[in-house]
Amino acid sequence: MRYLIPLGFFAFALILAAVPLMAANEYALRLFMLFLIYGMIAVGLNVLVGLTGLVSLGQAGLFALGSYTGAILATRLGFDIVACCIGAAIVSGAFGVLLAYPTMRVKGVYLAVVTIAFGIIVENVAIEWQSLTGGTTGLSSIPRPNVFGIKLSGFAFYGVLAVTLFVFTLLIQNLKISRYGRTMLAVSQSETASRALGINPTGLRMLAFVVASVTAGIAGTFYAFLNSYISPDIFTFSDSVRFLLMVILGGAGSTFGPVIGAYILTYLPEYLQQFQLWQKFAYGALLLLVMFALPRGILGTFRLAFDRLRPADPIPDVAEGLPVETTLRHKKEMWTAELVASALTVRFGGLSALSNVSLRVKGGEIHALIGPNGAGKSTFVNTISGFYRPDEGRCELDGVELTGRRSLEIARLGLARTFQNTELFGELSVLENVMAGYDQRLSYGLLQALLRTPRMRREESECRRAAIGLLGFVGLSQYGNEAARSLPFGLQRRLEIARALAGKPRLLLLDEPAAGLTTQEIDDLEAMIRRIAGLGISVLLVEHHVDLIMALADTVTVLDYGEVIASDNPAAIQNDPRVIEAYFGTSPERAETAA
Amino acid sequence: MTAAIQYILSGLAIGGIYALVGLGFHIMWSAAKAVNFAHGDTLMLGAVLAVLGVDAGMPLAVACLLAIIAGGIFGVLLERFAVRPFAATATSIGWMLTTIAVGVMIEALATLQFGGFSRPLPSPGVRSAVHIFGAGVYPQELAIPVVAILVMVSLRLMQRHTLIGRAMQAVAHDKRAAALMGINVNRIVAFSYGLASLFGAAAGVLVAPVIQVSASMGALLGLKGFAVAIIGGITSAPGIVIVGLGFGVMEKFVEGYISTASREIIGFAVMILVLLVFPQGLFGKREVLKV
Repeated sequence: MRYLIPLGFFAFALILAAVPLMAANEYALRLFMLFLIYGMIAVGLNVLVGLTGLVSLGQAGLFALGSYTGAILATRLGFDIVACCIGAAIVSGAFGVLLAYPTMRVKGVYLAVVTIAFGIIVENVAIEWQSLTGGTTGLSSIPRPNVFGIKLSGFAFYGVLAVTLFVFTLLIQNLKISRYGRTMLAVSQSETASRALGINPTGLRMLAFVVASVTAGIAGTFYAFLNSYISPDIFTFSDSVRFLLMVILGGAGSTFGPVIGAYILTYLPEYLQQFQLWQKFAYGALLLLVMFALPRGILGTFRLAFDRLRPADPIPDVAEGLPVETTLRHKKEMWTAELVASALTVRFGGLSALSNVSLRVKGGEIHALIGPNGAGKSTFVNTISGFYRPDEGRCELDGVELTGRRSLEIARLGLARTFQNTELFGELSVLENVMAGYDQRLSYGLLQALLRTPRMRREESECRRAAIGLLGFVGLSQYGNEAARSLPFGLQRRLEIARALAGKPRLLLLDEPAAGLTTQEIDDLEAMIRRIAGLGISVLLVEHHVDLIMALADTVTVLDYGEVIASDNPAAIQNDPRVIEAYFGTSPERAETAA
Repeated sequence: MTAAIQYILSGLAIGGIYALVGLGFHIMWSAAKAVNFAHGDTLMLGAVLAVLGVDAGMPLAVACLLAIIAGGIFGVLLERFAVRPFAATATSIGWMLTTIAVGVMIEALATLQFGGFSRPLPSPGVRSAVHIFGAGVYPQELAIPVVAILVMVSLRLMQRHTLIGRAMQAVAHDKRAAALMGINVNRIVAFSYGLASLFGAAAGVLVAPVIQVSASMGALLGLKGFAVAIIGGITSAPGIVIVGLGFGVMEKFVEGYISTASREIIGFAVMILVLLVFPQGLFGKREVLKV
């Protein structure tokens, strides 16, 4: 498996080198060059569709924007092809940011609509701004492509296109296997969990959209040079659909899928032309067919079949793992991470889910939060981890104000959490889930990811080894390669703990970790929490399971109807009359004396 | 002055169409957290079928009624075969692409049947124009915004006072809880798509006498209906109607004082700007994130 991708790149390079030698005539070569241009768009769009799971139906608009920018720079200012590409990349990238920012904060569907609208805006601006774009007649007499004043021959221009597509494919493959690809996939699976791990979903989606915009813009410039004529009506909505179909047909998320999709959909219209009026219908029918028969696309389906035939990947070697003691232990002087919540009040409409709740988790202690159903425990957890905003009151971690911060910032300040109804990245492997949790500790940037610099490789290997160690810690070593969703429920809970720990938190919030576990699993959990606390990580444990709490907790706080009714050591809590009353109701004798 | 009144009146007419289309998106979104990208084609289907019905010698009213019913059936079928199979997936790519595919196919079929040209639907509503402060307008155009408001009000009444309306609200709020209460969620979703498509086809029939009917008329009207739903807030039916009417009027002014091309540029730019400032739309409620 490890050699499959490099082999693919080798074959790809061979094909690209062989085609111009075998092309029958100039028309055949031109068509192939058109495919190379479409390939660039598809490869870039794959980052958005395949990794973040978002859809753009405006790639034709960005492609047109790049085309016009390149053509105008070349005809008006006499820029060479490199400078034109840079100009187009900047312009389309900037518009990518402009489009993506308002949409990323809402629903994925909106991006599709906004991008369609953007395509229409570009088309109409091209028509309206006649002095610059030539209006409906378009721009003609775009000069032959040249680099630094040297005119490129047809073959040399082919070389430029082939190398560009090859490099784009390679860079995007590098992006995919870096922290960026991993966290983009994570965000598409669960935005909530991503935020809780300090991953920035908005930023990643923007990045994906900008990658798709820049590649479409550069492809547009090449197109202007190839065609030497552009006009508003060659960039239509159905082209946008076609670009998207290239990605889906080839296999969204796969390395070479978009290239294959682009190849098929460059040549297919040539054959469909004979059907004339039915051509559009055939397009729609093909799209429908792909969605039902090949939802994973050609390469995705091939990969699935291949995975079934080949032997399973070797389980990550336990010996490779770093011991959790080295990856998680805080320096002794950092042990005193204190969570202080003071007078927190949260209202939903007229209902006070929390009123005036104060709580203090001392450094290194295991603090249990209990209370009957509906007491406000989950609201409390969601409030301090930044998912809800308190109406009144504040909380801080080790003196740093948490109130008003977003959940991802709070996560980066050292507060990690699990979820009552596990929120795993289901399609990612068990190991990748933990590596996504480690993300906030990685420091390499985009350029390093694209170029796979030594620093990137070193950090990635450290991340992987730490994740293997954590899997060993929670007893999931042999499941490293399985998809997280295929794990049984009890193991999913452990995986969530490992993932939360990967960020080296100072405080770990466990939201009902024992719910649904067997007695044996609860015993394991108890030992695990003890070891976590032993590493200097404070634990706030929200739980129903009394035995577990009594065995573990240093302090127990009891919530009822959104208020703290008791906070003390476990023994005192067990005998507190108010606590007994909250759980079992008033005893008959007391009720009588009260009456 | 006359020009301004003219723009307002014709703007309200086209705005009423956007409102009706937008309401359809609202209904579908509420039920399924998914929509139908062929909704503009539902509108086109309504208009085209009405014209074809009249061609076949049907009385106008029968042709319109049948066209609207056909639109509703189209919506139900689309939901069942193009949206539902992908409802459970995490991303919205599946249903988006299948409904786009169906839209492309329907548009291609309509082009084959109807030809590439445009025709109006004859209607008594456009026989003679009435004059209001010197602005000429057809009774049909005056009726459209009234219909849009009536549809919004009756939708609200239905949601408040009928069993199926309450079930729709329950499904919109929490699908799983609704299912546990014995509500057949699939049926409600199918009903919602049917209802939305009825309104869509009705919008097509209503607008057919005013603008030209063609196979490609649906794309832009559908997209603007969605834009209106986004600006108004997809969770708010009254917001969509208000924004729809306003959007129509704004378009007519831009068209009148600047140009047709600027109409599209400004209209869609407004949508993007509103999203930037009000991510939930002008009247929409923020959806509470459940953790």
